[in-house]
Amino acid sequence: MLIPLEPIVISDLLHASPTLDEPRIEVNSLGKRYGDLQVFKDINLTFREREIVTIVGPSGCGKTTLLRCIDGLMPSSEGEIRIDSDVVRKPREGVSMVFQHFGLFPWKTVYQNVAYGLKLAGVRKTVIADKVPYYTKLVGLEGFENSYPYQLSGGMQQRCGLARALSMEPSVLLMDEPFAAVDAQTREILQFELLRIWGMRPMTMIFVTHSIEEAVLMGDRVVVLKGRPSSVFEVIDVKLPGPRSRETLAHPRFSEVREHVWSTLMDEVRAAEFEIER
Amino acid sequence: MLSIINSDNRWIKYVTVCLGLLLGAIAWEIFGLNSNPAFMAPLIGNDEHPGAAVRLISNFSDQEFVESLIGSARLFITGFTIALIIAVPFGILLARLNWLRVALDTYILMLYVTPMVALIPFVLAMMGFDFWPKVVVVFLFSFFPVLYNTLEGARSVKPELLEVAHSFRSNEIALWTDVLVPYTLPYALTGIRQATGRALVGMIAAEFFLSTSGLGKEIMISSRTFDMAGVLATIILITIIGVLMMRLAQALEQHFSSWRGLER
Repeated sequence: MLIPLEPIVISDLLHASPTLDEPRIEVNSLGKRYGDLQVFKDINLTFREREIVTIVGPSGCGKTTLLRCIDGLMPSSEGEIRIDSDVVRKPREGVSMVFQHFGLFPWKTVYQNVAYGLKLAGVRKTVIADKVPYYTKLVGLEGFENSYPYQLSGGMQQRCGLARALSMEPSVLLMDEPFAAVDAQTREILQFELLRIWGMRPMTMIFVTHSIEEAVLMGDRVVVLKGRPSSVFEVIDVKLPGPRSRETLAHPRFSEVREHVWSTLMDEVRAAEFEIER
Repeated sequence: MLSIINSDNRWIKYVTVCLGLLLGAIAWEIFGLNSNPAFMAPLIGNDEHPGAAVRLISNFSDQEFVESLIGSARLFITGFTIALIIAVPFGILLARLNWLRVALDTYILMLYVTPMVALIPFVLAMMGFDFWPKVVVVFLFSFFPVLYNTLEGARSVKPELLEVAHSFRSNEIALWTDVLVPYTLPYALTGIRQATGRALVGMIAAEFFLSTSGLGKEIMISSRTFDMAGVLATIILITIIGVLMMRLAQALEQHFSSWRGLER
């Protein structure tokens, strides 16, 4: 028997400790259209300091597009996004993104790839020479500094992509289905690695995924996108005890939330499948 | 026996190549010795049939010939270098500015397929006989293969990589040095390899049809006196230079595209 979860209204959550509850990112009535196709509409979300929010939804619901809008990589059609009360118009300092396709430069070594953002930001060479080995080691790529991406497995390539984003020491980390292109076992290892790294240096993290398990495991809150055009159907406060670990997967609350999200999305997934068959 | 011939052993390949060249040389020698010296010269030859290879070696102590060689090299290097310096950045620029590419696309394709020899009379009429008109000819022969290949390469830059650059707040200059140029270089080098052969053709054509000079002049002078050994000596030299440059371009191409090798 499913215990019904109350949809969380964002404003209700703003009464715990003030520093952590201060909204860092606000998404106000956001909509995105490609010509006649409305991808999502009227999205209202708030992301707080040092919070991990996962966004889950069926494929084609625009969750990756939403993340690109937050990064400033593409303009929205309606509404606005504010980070620290500034309207986002282009990619900004303090916000880093990790891509599903890794996005490594194949002609650069691991070292050069990790140093890429720092070099662009005009960081001094001596500082880069300190930071790059630190973050390379943090993600477990020590000893592979001089390897090229094609010499690495998918999991290691994404570790490199993660190190590149972390080396910018961002206060907001955007993760675009980062582990979707790696095999299941590696994916599990990387999830816990990411949680470990986040534990060392907590930051606001928005994590887009199509895996319900991943969304519940990683997120303090889970945003469920649904509908056509999609909008926020539900924001679930996961309330799992931290720090998350493999044991979290066996926690009754974990399966409770997972089942809830699954049943929420199931009819949507069915509808999408039906649409393809038709 | 077959397994030896088809083996991947480097030495067997090397020996096979040498044997092939040797057989070709012997055939040439026999054919040359049995031909009228006014139509065909052998490689080594004798008093009656002067040899082309022998002539080539002795040419290097002939100051006039060496000056011709230097003159041709100057022409080739000038025209070819100007073509590269303009074609590579212009190709990338066209890939960045979509409207400019759309506007010029047809012209580029037309000039890419135009037999450049046919344009030589115009160059002659408009610019005359000096060194620079010849440079223009070499330039025309080599410019379009480089431009065409560079443009194709720059247009195929993965949008994901551009997105990464954008996300990390790259400016346009850094975008060129970090993404566009490294990505496009292997494609540009393919064009450069094709262009070396064309530039050699352009060089000789310019030296034939504009004021005769350089190696082209050497061929003309020798052929007027039916000195086939002299004609073939110069042709052999041009061929060797062409092969060496092709190999060099190939090595550069491989060096700069090693990252492409094992990409999924």
